[in-house]
Amino acid sequence: MDARARSVLSRVLRRVPSRDMGALLEKWSCLPEDQLRAVDYTRPRATLTEHIIGLCEDNSLGLKHVTNLEMIYHIENPDQGSWHACQLTDPQDDAASVELVQFKEQFKAHLLGVVRHISIKIKKHEDDAIWIRIAWGDNFHKPNHLKPTYAVHHLHTSYVFISNLAAKHKIFLSQALEVATKHTSIKEGHLTTKSLTAMRDLLLRRYPQVFPSAQLRILKERNAPPLHPCIAQEHSELEQTRHQMACEAFGPGPAPKLETAVYKLETRYRGHGSQTLAEGEEFFRGVVRFSSSSLLESFHHCVASGVAEGPVTPLLSAITRKGRNYFVITDKGPVPPGQSAHRT
Amino acid sequence: MALLTPFSKVPEVNTATVLLIENEEELQVKLANSIVQHEKDFNVNVRLAKKLPLPVENKEARPRLDLIVFIINLLSERSFQSAETSLAHLHSDCFLGKVCFLVTNARCGSLTQERLLSVRRLASSHQCPVLCSEHRTADGVQASAMRLLTLLKVSAGMSPLSTTALFLSSLTRCSLSSDLEEDFLQ
Repeated sequence: MDARARSVLSRVLRRVPSRDMGALLEKWSCLPEDQLRAVDYTRPRATLTEHIIGLCEDNSLGLKHVTNLEMIYHIENPDQGSWHACQLTDPQDDAASVELVQFKEQFKAHLLGVVRHISIKIKKHEDDAIWIRIAWGDNFHKPNHLKPTYAVHHLHTSYVFISNLAAKHKIFLSQALEVATKHTSIKEGHLTTKSLTAMRDLLLRRYPQVFPSAQLRILKERNAPPLHPCIAQEHSELEQTRHQMACEAFGPGPAPKLETAVYKLETRYRGHGSQTLAEGEEFFRGVVRFSSSSLLESFHHCVASGVAEGPVTPLLSAITRKGRNYFVITDKGPVPPGQSAHRT
Repeated sequence: MALLTPFSKVPEVNTATVLLIENEEELQVKLANSIVQHEKDFNVNVRLAKKLPLPVENKEARPRLDLIVFIINLLSERSFQSAETSLAHLHSDCFLGKVCFLVTNARCGSLTQERLLSVRRLASSHQCPVLCSEHRTADGVQASAMRLLTLLKVSAGMSPLSTTALFLSSLTRCSLSSDLEEDFLQ
């Protein structure tokens, strides 16, 4: 096993917690069972790592196996690092008939043709997600396996989730995805989170949702213990409507765990205070940033408990409606950041 | 403007009703549960509201209110302002012993001293008592519930010593003399 493989392996092993190590190595199934059973997982980390590296060398495992292990680890623990979403647009006529084998061939063929040194691995997970691991190199360097890019795509949806992609490689990946999925273009999704599952649930709509209906269907409030019969709420109607509004905007049940929402303001100052600010031709630039351990739950609570009054502003409900968490607000209303509003 | 009047309905036998008004709607539920569980001698109804005026729809069904409690969180300016605006919706007859203020977080250092002073000024101008409550522990909530029950018993006319609400309020009402005020401001 050469130095590169060893460094990648030790890096992966360092990140895995000891209790998950056994299961991971079993899933990898590159080490023989009797040797695996002999490993003592309660030893200190350094000795454990050395022991496992020794076992791998005895079994003459190579870089390919090590990258396989890394990929399995990432598939099992997807909520690490920082993911952002891209959306494929303008599908060609036969985009719906693309299947896995065809996708793999086209993707690999395109990238191998364009970049000189590159290492690509594609795996299909049970829930129809295609995981792609790419280690980039260039004309003078071998692929760098310490900083691989991961991309996840569900076939026949229009979203791709990408982690750890450098700006200079973005164009190659975008082109390859367009070619392999038979779409004409790919654009920014403006959604960045730490948790892949949250991003996937939000964009593929896999969380409980409530659709606003003309008749006011009052939802049962979750987690509210029934009150003693002698206790009565005076404002129960109000509370029900607030709860309904919150559920329509942010979902009634456990919502995907987003961490931040950023609103970039490019508007004119309209307050009554400072005259100089209001007169200037320049935009008043500001950034409003909401952060929380689970943003949608916080918004839901704000609206349902009456801290934020009135109907939910479309700026906030756009997070779930459009599946984004980065917005640019100009005077004419929110526009996607690709276009800019020019004012003379 | 329809004001909340205390004597417009006939009282029910062996029943007392207390109205808890709180902007944040957190402590009132805990207090309500505690009050209802502790009183065995007579029926207690608890009504919870966020602010006054109360919805008109409930007017028929609502029993006669014996005690109105404003719960103010001293850490929030909005809580105090909401209580102040709600006071305007009470008929002046209510202030003869049927209104009391309950403040929380009075121990939280210098942040709350000025607001506590304003609450006390408000209470003394309306001649109502101010109770301080510890809402983070179950014991604290229970203690506040017992104190409110004592006040409730008197203002519902169920006190065995035939005390009236007016008499009790003259003993318990918050008074703020001018030299006390200066002490606080220092």
